[in-house]
Amino acid sequence: MAITAESTGKASLVEEPKRLGVRKYSADISAVGEPWLWGLGGALALGIILVAGFLTMIFWNGASTFWPKPIHLVTLTDGSVVAGEPTRSSVYRVSEAIREQLGETANAMIDEGDGFARRVLYRSANFDLYGDDFRWVSEYEVERIETPADFFLLERQEWGPFVGRILKVHFDGEEIAADKLSYGQLRRYQDQARDRFHEIRHIEQKDIGAVNYYIERQRLGLRKVQLRHGDDSPEYAAAAARTNARIAELEAEFAGYQARIAEIRERDRKDRFLLEEVGGRTKDQLMSEVVRLYPANDLSFGQKVGIYLSRWWEFLSSEPREANMEGGVLPAIFGTVAMTLIMVVIVAPFGVVTALYLREYAKQGKIVSIVRVSVNNLAGVPSIVFGVFGLGFFAYTMGVTIDQLFYPERLPSPTFGTGGILWASLTLALLTVPVVIVAAEEALSAVPRSMREGSLACGASKWQTIRRVVLPRAMPGIMTGLILAMARGAGEVAPLMLIGVVKLAPMLPIDTFPPFVHLERSFMHLGFHIYDVGFQSRNSEAGKPMVYVTTMLLLFLIVAMNSSAIYIRNRLKRKFAVGQF
Amino acid sequence: MNQPGSGNDSDAHAFIVHRRDKSTKQSVLIGDKIANWSITLGGLLVIVAVITIMLFLVSVALPLATGGEVRQHSVYTLGTPKQVAWLTADEYTTLGLRITADGQVSAFHIPTGTFVTASDLEFAETATAVAGVVTREQVAFGFADGSVRFGTFNFEPGVITADNLPAGRQQLNESDSLAGITIYRELNTGDYRTITPAWTIGDAQQISEHPIIAIDYRVGGTVERPTRSFVTVDAAGVARVSRAVIQRNLMTGAEQVRLTSSTLPTLPEGTQVTRVLMASTADRVMIATRDGTLYRYDVRDFGAPVLAETTRAFDGAGDVEITSLAFLNSELAMVVGGSNGAVDVFFRLERPDANTTDGYQMVRARSHESQGSPIVAMSVSQRKKSLATLGADGSLWIRHSTSEQTLFKLQRESAADTEAAVMLMPRTDGVLLVDHNGNVDAWDFYYPHPETTLRAIFGKLWYEGYPEPTYTWQSSSGTDVFEPKYSLVPLIFGTLKATVYALMFAVPIALMGAIYTSEFLHRRVRATVKPVMEMMESLPTVVLGFIAALVLAPIIEEWIAAVILSFVSIPMGLMLGAFVWQTLPVTLSLKLGGIPKFFFMVASILLFGYVAFMLGPTFERALFYGDFKAWVNGDVGTGMPFLFLIGFPLSFMLVAWSFGRTFGHTWRNKLRDLSREQAGRIDFARWGVFVLAAALLSWAIAGLLTLAGYDPRGGVVDTYSQRNALVVGFVMGFAVIPNIYTLAEDALNSVPSHLRAASLAAGATPWQTAMWVILPVAASGVFSAVMIGMGRAVGETMIVVMAAGNTPVLDWNIFSGLRTLSANIAVELPEAVKDGTLYRTLFLAALTLFVLTFVINTLAELVRQRFRKRAFQL
Repeated sequence: MAITAESTGKASLVEEPKRLGVRKYSADISAVGEPWLWGLGGALALGIILVAGFLTMIFWNGASTFWPKPIHLVTLTDGSVVAGEPTRSSVYRVSEAIREQLGETANAMIDEGDGFARRVLYRSANFDLYGDDFRWVSEYEVERIETPADFFLLERQEWGPFVGRILKVHFDGEEIAADKLSYGQLRRYQDQARDRFHEIRHIEQKDIGAVNYYIERQRLGLRKVQLRHGDDSPEYAAAAARTNARIAELEAEFAGYQARIAEIRERDRKDRFLLEEVGGRTKDQLMSEVVRLYPANDLSFGQKVGIYLSRWWEFLSSEPREANMEGGVLPAIFGTVAMTLIMVVIVAPFGVVTALYLREYAKQGKIVSIVRVSVNNLAGVPSIVFGVFGLGFFAYTMGVTIDQLFYPERLPSPTFGTGGILWASLTLALLTVPVVIVAAEEALSAVPRSMREGSLACGASKWQTIRRVVLPRAMPGIMTGLILAMARGAGEVAPLMLIGVVKLAPMLPIDTFPPFVHLERSFMHLGFHIYDVGFQSRNSEAGKPMVYVTTMLLLFLIVAMNSSAIYIRNRLKRKFAVGQF
Repeated sequence: MNQPGSGNDSDAHAFIVHRRDKSTKQSVLIGDKIANWSITLGGLLVIVAVITIMLFLVSVALPLATGGEVRQHSVYTLGTPKQVAWLTADEYTTLGLRITADGQVSAFHIPTGTFVTASDLEFAETATAVAGVVTREQVAFGFADGSVRFGTFNFEPGVITADNLPAGRQQLNESDSLAGITIYRELNTGDYRTITPAWTIGDAQQISEHPIIAIDYRVGGTVERPTRSFVTVDAAGVARVSRAVIQRNLMTGAEQVRLTSSTLPTLPEGTQVTRVLMASTADRVMIATRDGTLYRYDVRDFGAPVLAETTRAFDGAGDVEITSLAFLNSELAMVVGGSNGAVDVFFRLERPDANTTDGYQMVRARSHESQGSPIVAMSVSQRKKSLATLGADGSLWIRHSTSEQTLFKLQRESAADTEAAVMLMPRTDGVLLVDHNGNVDAWDFYYPHPETTLRAIFGKLWYEGYPEPTYTWQSSSGTDVFEPKYSLVPLIFGTLKATVYALMFAVPIALMGAIYTSEFLHRRVRATVKPVMEMMESLPTVVLGFIAALVLAPIIEEWIAAVILSFVSIPMGLMLGAFVWQTLPVTLSLKLGGIPKFFFMVASILLFGYVAFMLGPTFERALFYGDFKAWVNGDVGTGMPFLFLIGFPLSFMLVAWSFGRTFGHTWRNKLRDLSREQAGRIDFARWGVFVLAAALLSWAIAGLLTLAGYDPRGGVVDTYSQRNALVVGFVMGFAVIPNIYTLAEDALNSVPSHLRAASLAAGATPWQTAMWVILPVAASGVFSAVMIGMGRAVGETMIVVMAAGNTPVLDWNIFSGLRTLSANIAVELPEAVKDGTLYRTLFLAALTLFVLTFVINTLAELVRQRFRKRAFQL
């Protein structure tokens, strides 16, 4: 780094010009500090490049994930074949140990690349057959690459995708050779089978779920009576008789649903695909377990767009499958939104009241400065500490007390005495309250004094002034604060990991069973979904596309919230134009 | 105030001119008052919240430091006074078994002393030595005729519902009742736990012709084929190791015992053996003597045992007798009690200078508080690292070995001079003492967190199997006998390490960027850059963590040389750009001075980043012998290349500084006479010379340092792991840049503009104005921005959870992982048992974080307030 301007600044200020002649234009080059300026500007430019690169990478990877990729049939020099979607490629250094085993031509190729070689990661899929999803293929191994038109990609309910040929189709006892069928016909068969799958799913989740729920309710009701009146009381006997009758009814209903499912399954088993992977091994695949299929190398642009959009729709509207690595994120979106909304309901009054206190009610002094220090510290305390507090205080202290008082029939399994959406929202409310306070204060201080004085002069009381004059004018600013708080809350993961977030929530926190909102339930969250799929799944490489898309979605949510907040704030600033530091 | 009849206003209206009621409605006044109260209360709620958080964290963490209490001390006498050979009790301190030396077993209810049952094992003669496994279930008795018998004493636990309780139970106390030989204890679920004693005794095995005076016994093998290993010392001074392999016929249940023995090398003449000890693996035997000598035998080769080591247990004269000897439950630590009251813990450690046959050496690792009178009996805990030591003066001390603290100092009620047996309860929640007169002292105590002391959490402790005292965090492991290590020091260190590396990256970029934005950047660019940076503040860090761990870490690992090169090439590229810019004609440089210049900077970074990428392999070959990771590991080469790289910027500064000191003035005057372009060209040349000179200087210094034997490897650079501090620093830096940037930019921006105007009007260049006018005024605001960024880095969780590798190690190596307080909480708290030691320690970690950030934030806030005052005064 250049140091030339070390003392120039001072020197050139005090120094008398030697000759009072015509001075040349800005000859003292060090006073301009050009190298320093480039250093400063370079730092900013680097920051911008990093941000832009980061956003581009997320966007590019996220947006391209669902685009159907071709399937390459790669024949290697040793005669073996690999079929799969090319995922990404990289340049790597070939280690000596590997080079020793390679032939001359391969070594020559590597030498040409200065000891480096390019390799491509193929998603060979067929996890059930290979025990692995991916395969690196180095350039020097490749004999030739083809893109055969009869290779299909099948997304399956379980085991991830399948790459290979469809040999035969069994449909309702008929056996049809696949090459006699067009893509459209295949899809029609598969659609019919898939509908049955959805029907079973619907019965299992909605109908049987409801029956289970009501049985559990009956059981808990009985337990409640037992706890209140005792085992030998006539109340208990009556309740037990009633409950058992009802449970018997429900169980009959349950058996009916079971029979219906068995019937559908019976039909379902007759529709199958006979698949063959590239190495010749075959696989008998139930048609209804196939989510989507397409001949990857034989698609028109329109078909590709169709697959792309249908994948997006699946992502946004369905539940995850295959250990969260495939399928959709609807429960996570739902959980994130529900938690953020509950949080806002809690944080709004708290934040606004504090801001009102600081701006309108408090006399400036010791207490106010303590409140300010507290606000600053709430803003600065690491989020994980809030999580620890939330777990220990809300769940383990308050929740356990609530359980003992109101849900004794469910003990020892906790209701509120463990992490749940209410506690998570409360914790995040505590975390985001400084954001709201600061924004609300700013908004309140932006309301001109003259308006307050006018109102007071008309005889309104202080509270009337605040309610009718100050708050309405400050409302946009307060909204800004709330939106910023939501953005902050939606992106927090660390405290949620301790208090209520799970990788797979069996039930949504809001459903059709009374009381409809179940604040004690654990929930899924987009941010945690990213962590879970990226780090807790069996293969982080296979989960990566999902992570990218989820990341893009989360970023989109947060950027949208932030930019609307910034937009509102800028409009406000222009409207009131009060300088504030 | 409302007056009566004011409600008739509307009626009056018709007749007279409306007389307005001047008083305020009651409801308005009440509303005002309520609002006043509730808003004041609500406002103070923030203080309440902060104080609640802090107090709650303290209240959860505090029990770590507080001690325990003795809950109950029962004293009673068992029927017949007899010499006690062995004691055992069930898991829940309900039922005790006393086995006397003449083979009488009696079961009693521990809290009350109620007799339950008795039986005779029918010993041919009195047992002269006894020993058992750590769970106290398997016991070996040695007899005066040189034979050995093995027994099993255990308890069958069960849980029954209230309906199945037998009738006619004898109530013992509020929770326990007795029926037959089973004790029923009421549980708080309403069910009952049953405890029934059961025992068996095996046949005599002849070992020696002389009376057995010391024995130790361990059980290994499988359930179908258990192996019993035991070591005996007889009155003739012969020590034998024996193994009994038992083959159990699955059909008939008959046992077939095959016994093999091996004699240990003979002890010196006249040695009086007091205790003998053996490890479960049956490859180590310890013999303790009256003169305080410990003999360690290596029995790995069963047929040919070797005396591996002879050592003195206590310093000083040989009159201190070893009176007690036991392994802690893991058998990695051996406790030695002496006749002087000393209780010392020895580890068997591998030492290069060990003067032993197997390279191991017994090392005194811990010295517990001396009891002041001879240790006559000792009992170790089955699952924790606690032990009870009985002194000849009747004192019974409960100690915890890891933390070296004495938990309780108890005093027995029974006569101190009567010999007694001691047993620490399986859950380490009580201790039982039975003396040879049948007097019993039973204590019930509660000491929830014996592992943690101030020293255990913040200091160095010598843990089992470790070669020296260390700061270690390791809270859990697969085995029962694991010694938990709760030092927060590695975690605090990890937090600091991550913060330091993150700030080293973030602070220069954020501050320099803020200065440029505030003082030099074109207004149009600024209007987009600022909001984008603000938005990056609320970027979810889980996203950054994912990018760091799954995308960046593999790339950096593959291209580490290029990354290091880019640290040099990008600044050099920018400098190059600056000097080229200086040579441009003034008109052109003025014309392009705004947005285009900024784009040139962006282009320069991209270009030189690409150059680094392209030259990476060449660079690696030139400086790091073609393999950076091997170099950093210390496998190849010397430390010179790295020293050269580090030294280069420093040398450059040195060269530039000394030039400025000596010729600076003359040089500037010379340049002043030239035209701008000419001066620029000459300055360019000067820069080139400086770079060369700096390179040479740096090379020379690096060479000299290397010759002097200095090698940076092993310090800041060492073995490379994929998820490391460099990646964390880079990404966490990226996360805090927006924070520091926005706050610093705000501070710079709020410097009154008349200062700027005055400086420029006085002829200072924008650079001089920024550096010598704006920055000094805004310095405290900028400082507080850095502090707030630091606060954020300290508490950042997701990035470190995902990208830091989570290894709690204590080194500054930028290429190794780390574990921070926050990551540790996130990883371990979900699995921690509520109110357990780990749970509370994690709360303490949270409290530490809270206090750390509290201090940083309060400091930042104070500085900021000072800055505000100053800025408004100007």
